[in-house]
Amino acid sequence: MSQCIVVTSGKGGVGKTTTSANLGAGLALAGNRVAVVDADIGLRNLDVILGLENRIVYDLVQVVEGECRLKQALIRDKRVEGLFLLPAAQTRDKNAVSPDDMRRLVGELKEEFDYVIIDCPAGIEQGFKNSIAGADRALIVTTPEVSAIRDADRIIGMVEAHDLPEPELIINRYRAGMVERGDMMNKEDILEILAIPLIGMVPDHEDVIISANRGQPAVFDENSVVGQAYRRITDRVVGHEVPFPSFETPTGMWATMKRWMGLAPMREVV
Amino acid sequence: MRGIFKKFQDTVFGAPPASKDDAKQRLKVLLIHDQVALTPAQLDAMREEIMDVISRYVEVDDNGVEFRLSREDGAISLVSNVPVRRVTARASA
Repeated sequence: MSQCIVVTSGKGGVGKTTTSANLGAGLALAGNRVAVVDADIGLRNLDVILGLENRIVYDLVQVVEGECRLKQALIRDKRVEGLFLLPAAQTRDKNAVSPDDMRRLVGELKEEFDYVIIDCPAGIEQGFKNSIAGADRALIVTTPEVSAIRDADRIIGMVEAHDLPEPELIINRYRAGMVERGDMMNKEDILEILAIPLIGMVPDHEDVIISANRGQPAVFDENSVVGQAYRRITDRVVGHEVPFPSFETPTGMWATMKRWMGLAPMREVV
Repeated sequence: MRGIFKKFQDTVFGAPPASKDDAKQRLKVLLIHDQVALTPAQLDAMREEIMDVISRYVEVDDNGVEFRLSREDGAISLVSNVPVRRVTARASA
């Protein structure tokens, strides 16, 4: 059965679009038919993260307003079988679309696709309401910072008020070194405060910038630690049990020697 | 090596407080106030009214009264500790 997953956070700039792109690409790599939908009308970005910005002809608002058919607006990603993008309009605003429009659109997409991923805009207004309207499941992205966690808490309450199942958490920009020094909240601290299940942790790594520069989601790169983190998230989203790797630098003489001899990374990654 | 030196430093001079503890503490207070739509003035009023009711039955040590909101697993609870000096229940009050 098809599923619509909304990726949301409340706060902007915590990695919703990066997460939507990588989750969508990851699900397609695993053999699913996936539509990623940019619901950030007026400030579209998902097309850029996916490297599909030059192929946009029609957008979500034109589909809703009946100016084109849904199939005409969907952009096929040539790098992986089964991945499609429905871009947002750049010249319109959030009020061009209603929650009912989105519900209809998602319903239509679910007939064609195994997964529909909605990249939700920041904030708690119309764009958020549109994004969760057709969703069956919500992933909350946060970073280990006071402001991001505060907004995540607010969004969790709003998701639960909309009759969606308990949302699942992705902790982004995790820095194992800072956690070890006690200068960043760790996984347990965050879960204690937000009290929802964890579905993924993504390290703060330069790969994210490099992949954004190239329009090539990290999940395509098997050697990228960020890509690996998103592959694990993808596996968990489809229902596999995937253990969370240990984030602390291993201690003990053998581990230290291995690091010094260059046989192991200086820092363990997430 | 740096780790060992830092451990030595921390043992001798005392470890500096980790900033994540500040973050966690501030968040806990913040989330309670985000969730409870009461102004500090309303909270004070509630506290006074509750104390009035308790004082009708027992003599309260005002200095030791603790009255705060706490959050555990997303649920808010009102935590109060009221030291009683003397039980002053009057017959058929």
